[in-house]
Amino acid sequence: MKQRVLTALMVIAAGLVSALLTTMPIIGQSAAPKAKKAAYTPPKLPWGDPDLQGLWPGTDLIEVPLQRDLKAGERAEVTPEEFAERQAKAERTAANDRVTHVAKDSKVGINPPGYWLEHGIPQKITSLVVDPPNGRIPELTDLAKQKAAQAKQAKQGHGPNETWEDQSLYDRCISRGVMGSILPVIYNNGTQIVQGPGYVAIRYEMIHETKIVPLDGKPHPTSNIKSYMGDARGHFEGNTLVIETTNFLGDRNGIGLNGGGTPHSADMVLIEKWTRTAPDMMEYTATINDPKTWVKPWTVRMPLRLNPEFPLYEYACHEGNYAMFNMLKGARADEAAAEAAKAGKK
Amino acid sequence: MRKTLSIAVASVGLLAAVSPVWAHHAFAAEYDGKKQVHLEGVVTQMEWINPHTWIHIDVTAPDGTVTSWMIEGGSPNILLRRGFNKGSLEKGQKITVDGFMAKDGSNRANGSNITYPDGKKLFLGSSGTGAPVDPGPGK
Amino acid sequence: MSAAVVCMFLLMTPDEARAQAAPAKAVAKGPRMTDGKPNLNGVWQAITTANWDIQDHSAAPGPFWQLGAIGAIPAGQGIVEGNEIPYTPAGLAKKKQNKANWPAEDPEAKCYMPGIPRANYMPFPFQIIQSNKDILMAYEFASSNRLINMGKPVEAGSDTWMGTSNGRWEGDALVVDVTGLNGLAWFDRAGNWGSDKLHIVERYNRTSNDVLNYEATIEDPSVFTKPWKISLPLYKRAEKNAQILEFKCVEFAEELLYGKYKKQPTK
Repeated sequence: MKQRVLTALMVIAAGLVSALLTTMPIIGQSAAPKAKKAAYTPPKLPWGDPDLQGLWPGTDLIEVPLQRDLKAGERAEVTPEEFAERQAKAERTAANDRVTHVAKDSKVGINPPGYWLEHGIPQKITSLVVDPPNGRIPELTDLAKQKAAQAKQAKQGHGPNETWEDQSLYDRCISRGVMGSILPVIYNNGTQIVQGPGYVAIRYEMIHETKIVPLDGKPHPTSNIKSYMGDARGHFEGNTLVIETTNFLGDRNGIGLNGGGTPHSADMVLIEKWTRTAPDMMEYTATINDPKTWVKPWTVRMPLRLNPEFPLYEYACHEGNYAMFNMLKGARADEAAAEAAKAGKK
Repeated sequence: MRKTLSIAVASVGLLAAVSPVWAHHAFAAEYDGKKQVHLEGVVTQMEWINPHTWIHIDVTAPDGTVTSWMIEGGSPNILLRRGFNKGSLEKGQKITVDGFMAKDGSNRANGSNITYPDGKKLFLGSSGTGAPVDPGPGK
Repeated sequence: MSAAVVCMFLLMTPDEARAQAAPAKAVAKGPRMTDGKPNLNGVWQAITTANWDIQDHSAAPGPFWQLGAIGAIPAGQGIVEGNEIPYTPAGLAKKKQNKANWPAEDPEAKCYMPGIPRANYMPFPFQIIQSNKDILMAYEFASSNRLINMGKPVEAGSDTWMGTSNGRWEGDALVVDVTGLNGLAWFDRAGNWGSDKLHIVERYNRTSNDVLNYEATIEDPSVFTKPWKISLPLYKRAEKNAQILEFKCVEFAEELLYGKYKKQPTK
């Protein structure tokens, strides 16, 4: 009798614990890697949440590759020689930008001037991907490989810029997706956190996205509602903001720069963590769980620096997208020229 | 060391630093790499828009005919962060543009070099994020 | 009330007394932030046909008979105080031209950002995230958004679709000064518009827990002969799961914008 009661009590207790774990935000310290020094405690907002507000652009990290060079193996940091190379490259770029006059023999390119870009600061990290330990994106699943092959097949015999769909979602000014909106690129890496009672909002400069994260634990909508930026829900574990995003539109954006790369599926679950590790530093990690696309989860880590000199400006991309008209017209002109040439040869 | 860098070396470095960087965008789809243009004109308007700014110039031919051109630049947000604004390039300012012409033959070009008549680059500013040039913060 | 005030009341007619007793500044209802300011956090939406036409309008057929009554224009009472928009002759001519070119030339049809004030009365919700510093407004339509700077006012560096917003509190009213609009957005589907000289002063007053009263004084000497005003209530979305969703409409507008430049099927 005593045994049965004890077992029953244990079952109930286990049920309660499991219910608590699944329905309530986890309070207390997260299982983070051991800090080398005492963890920084950010100030609290008047309503009690840790203050993560500010401008946290990813600009410093431009030129850190997403995936690690194979040669680096499991090395998370570059060698002193490699770092010196990065510094030298940065110095060359800065020197170029300081040249005030264009040389008479300067080669003319097909792009805007090189100084019309933003630059990073040499970093010691070998890659933004930190898990798997080799810093490289895991293998694609068979399904994902199949889809990629089918997409390639569909493009056979298809000319450039036949329609707007031949351009990326970024160049169509639709969306770069969550990760594409934060992975550092050649300019406009503006990221801003604004908090209100019960909410955290994250603004991304390109393409004028606002991710609104309710903190009250209400459930996601059903999977009948899908979107490019997905649906976010968050909570604080100690001073770490943990965001779970689901309800993605699948087969659109990838997890690469500007949302390129292999498109993720609609079943992706993205877990992001924002931890303010110093008054001017934010540790950002994102774990991509998409068993339909990658054989295992993988994690990106970005140390972000507070930069009050990096306000976000409006990026009304679609509204100013002359380029789309020009690319389509350009392709039609090329086709007409090819047709005329063919007709001329007959 | 920095002060003695010659312009010739710098322009080689410019090629090395710049060429792969814009690859994501389809300038190559808009402009014809075989139709290089050199334009000297007067600014009539600058559109501070994304994804790319457009500088409108009037180019006067030797015979007096005036042609309007549109020059495609980079994102204005970068310039705004450097302290430039919509008043920074005034109507009536003379500029020189080197680039390539639009594939469809219209009077559009990318602004590979955009300078004042004396060759000074337009919109020069700090190249970094306003942070020290030292290596990034230690972790 | 002090004795002096009581005496004053006794000497007035009832109407005078009521007018005198009305507070000089509105006092907000609803929750407050810890610093005492009205807490405007939440999901809000206008219930009005202003996006069709900010002035009084009758029901009318829509542009596509194929949609039947679904595509028709509902009747609506306007949001313009006095129902008159003081256009200059040139301003009115452009409004008529806009209207004649609707819907194809309506920036809404192209999925362009709606600008101010139209963003506030689109038939889509928006969310206010009010921090202890600035105030963010995130609109569902086309993922438009703007940050109201509550610190030292900043000047617009360039003209944008959503403008440059500098805000301050006047008692319980949030007053937002909007400049730097690019003059490309319309005020409604009837073609009402303003140029890049627009200067808009908005006032947000929470008159009850569920109602945020919105007023905007609009001036543009190149389009209007004098300033004019709109006002309408914004209602709090009361659903427990109220949130803004995503309406990234570029894909719905691409055929309209680019269709004639796509590769035509070979004959």
